[in-house]
Amino acid sequence: MGLDVQTGADAVAPTPPERAAIVSPLRAYAPVVVAAVVLALLPLAFGGSGYYRTLAIIMLVYAAYAIAFNIIFGGTGQLFLCLGALGGLSAYVSVVLTQDGGLPLLVTVPLGTLLAAALGALFSWVAVRRNLDVIFIGIVTLAFSLVFYNMVQGLRSLTGGETGMVVTGGTGTPLRGAVSYYVFVALLVAFLALYQLIDRSHLGWAFRALKNDELAAELAGIDVARYRIMAGAIGAAMVGLTGALYVHHEGFISPSVFNFAHLDVRVLVVLAFGGIGSLLGPIVGAAAVSVLDEFLRPLGQLRLAVYGVVLMTLFLFFRQGVVPTLAAATHRVRDRVRR
Amino acid sequence: MAIVLDGIVFGLQLSLLAVGLTLIYGLGGVLNLAHGQFAAVAAIIGAVLVGRGHAPLVAVTLAVLAAGLLALFIDRTLMRPVYKLTGEARVLLSLLLTLGAAFLIDGLLIYYHPSTALNLSVPRLGLDLFGVRMRGSSIAASLVAIVVLVGLMLFLRYARFGKAIRSIIQDEVGAQLCGINPGRVRTVVFVLSGLLAGLVAATQAMISSVGSTDGLNFTILALIVTVVGGLGRVSGALVAGLLLGIVYTLASFHIGAFVTFVILLLAAIATILVRPSGILGKVS
Repeated sequence: MGLDVQTGADAVAPTPPERAAIVSPLRAYAPVVVAAVVLALLPLAFGGSGYYRTLAIIMLVYAAYAIAFNIIFGGTGQLFLCLGALGGLSAYVSVVLTQDGGLPLLVTVPLGTLLAAALGALFSWVAVRRNLDVIFIGIVTLAFSLVFYNMVQGLRSLTGGETGMVVTGGTGTPLRGAVSYYVFVALLVAFLALYQLIDRSHLGWAFRALKNDELAAELAGIDVARYRIMAGAIGAAMVGLTGALYVHHEGFISPSVFNFAHLDVRVLVVLAFGGIGSLLGPIVGAAAVSVLDEFLRPLGQLRLAVYGVVLMTLFLFFRQGVVPTLAAATHRVRDRVRR
Repeated sequence: MAIVLDGIVFGLQLSLLAVGLTLIYGLGGVLNLAHGQFAAVAAIIGAVLVGRGHAPLVAVTLAVLAAGLLALFIDRTLMRPVYKLTGEARVLLSLLLTLGAAFLIDGLLIYYHPSTALNLSVPRLGLDLFGVRMRGSSIAASLVAIVVLVGLMLFLRYARFGKAIRSIIQDEVGAQLCGINPGRVRTVVFVLSGLLAGLVAATQAMISSVGSTDGLNFTILALIVTVVGGLGRVSGALVAGLLLGIVYTLASFHIGAFVTFVILLLAAIATILVRPSGILGKVS
């Protein structure tokens, strides 16, 4: 994962090639279409098995979170350590409004998403206004995560506290049953397309400029504050939408689903695996994490320890991401073979 | 009054916990998110040794030393690649790696010792202070904390090595030009912070029991105190520790545990937004 945020300090890392906007639209969106086709055909491989469907949906959800984090952190270097809290807030708002307020999902899910987006924009705005560097954004957002977690447990009558509550809003909608898989495929493909769209628009140019050299970008007339806030809002909205949809699909909500040690850490691992700033990396990383998660399930609390080891290993040895590192290695081997 | 005194007792532990974290940040610009886990490791080792029939003093001494050894190990392994980087990349990598270490330690402790806890309180002894009956073990815990904190302040102010530490915090290149080896000083301070965290496990165990799940709480509390005191400021950590200790005890007595934690977290957020250099720092 690219740790050379803004400073470009990681001297060992090769500079990434200038991607994006010059590539023709056909070539840029081809991977998105391929991913869509592969994901759509995946049920043929696992048949009607509900077990594999559950696993596949978890993979899609992690990939969706990772793409959002990729926009916020990979795009503009803002370390949001509150993905779980943003997704959870959106989910709880949507669930409570549906359950206690009697509003339809078509109203409450967008409301939750909007709230997450507003919070994301607020964090970015505050960070820009107070000129916070990466460590302070990290601490502020981490503190927000913990505030959220404590609030959910404190407001027991509304949220069900630690034990959580059953969510009935999704029954009878495409979010339940066999079709639900395709809902999340559609969500992920939409996110991939959005990511590519941003990458090729003026937003993508601005993100790359301000990540390489903030001062130079500012001098070149890029409104750094505006683009940071946009990245924060868009990414947070994606997280909020994913969180709300997932909870209505699951039919159950509890704070542990959105716990920092559960969600944020897995997203970090997903991105560290797939490489930051890559389009399809999140899917590969999410597949790896959801399979790993399934294997580790019998370990109980030891799972936490294994994730600690995975986190350390990835950031010690694969700072550019496992997939990009392996890709670079195969390129080197191929070059040698050709010669 | 009794609650304020309890708050001061707890605040001293918080100061002791935060001093190590803030020194490491000041020295190398890295954040150790496994700091509280050092305390948890010490608590479990202490509890296991006490359980095997060792004298509490021996068990605690060995446990504190073990926390120091663990810190040495982490400094020699995890922290080496961190110090090769500079600026934001360094603090980011330190954050992610120590987060991994924290999960590893937490996972192992909770899996193998789910209900082991260190408890050193001596309920029978007591003392009247300001007309309030204080538990003897609370007073002992406070005395240990005060002695160590004062000793640390004197050490930083007058000892040769303490001056070297402060010179690196002020200006690393300048210190290097004076013949100070920042790498060595960092290692020593990292071990010191591990020992201090281990000591907190012992003193906190005199007040209430410390178990395998407390590492995360210790880390979060230390982080909050460090932030409110100003990252890298030792005196700030002392003042913030006492202040937040009193706030914590008062709030959890009057309002409840969840809200108390939220208040502390909001204090940390407010500090970053209003006065990033800490309560003793300048208004930005």
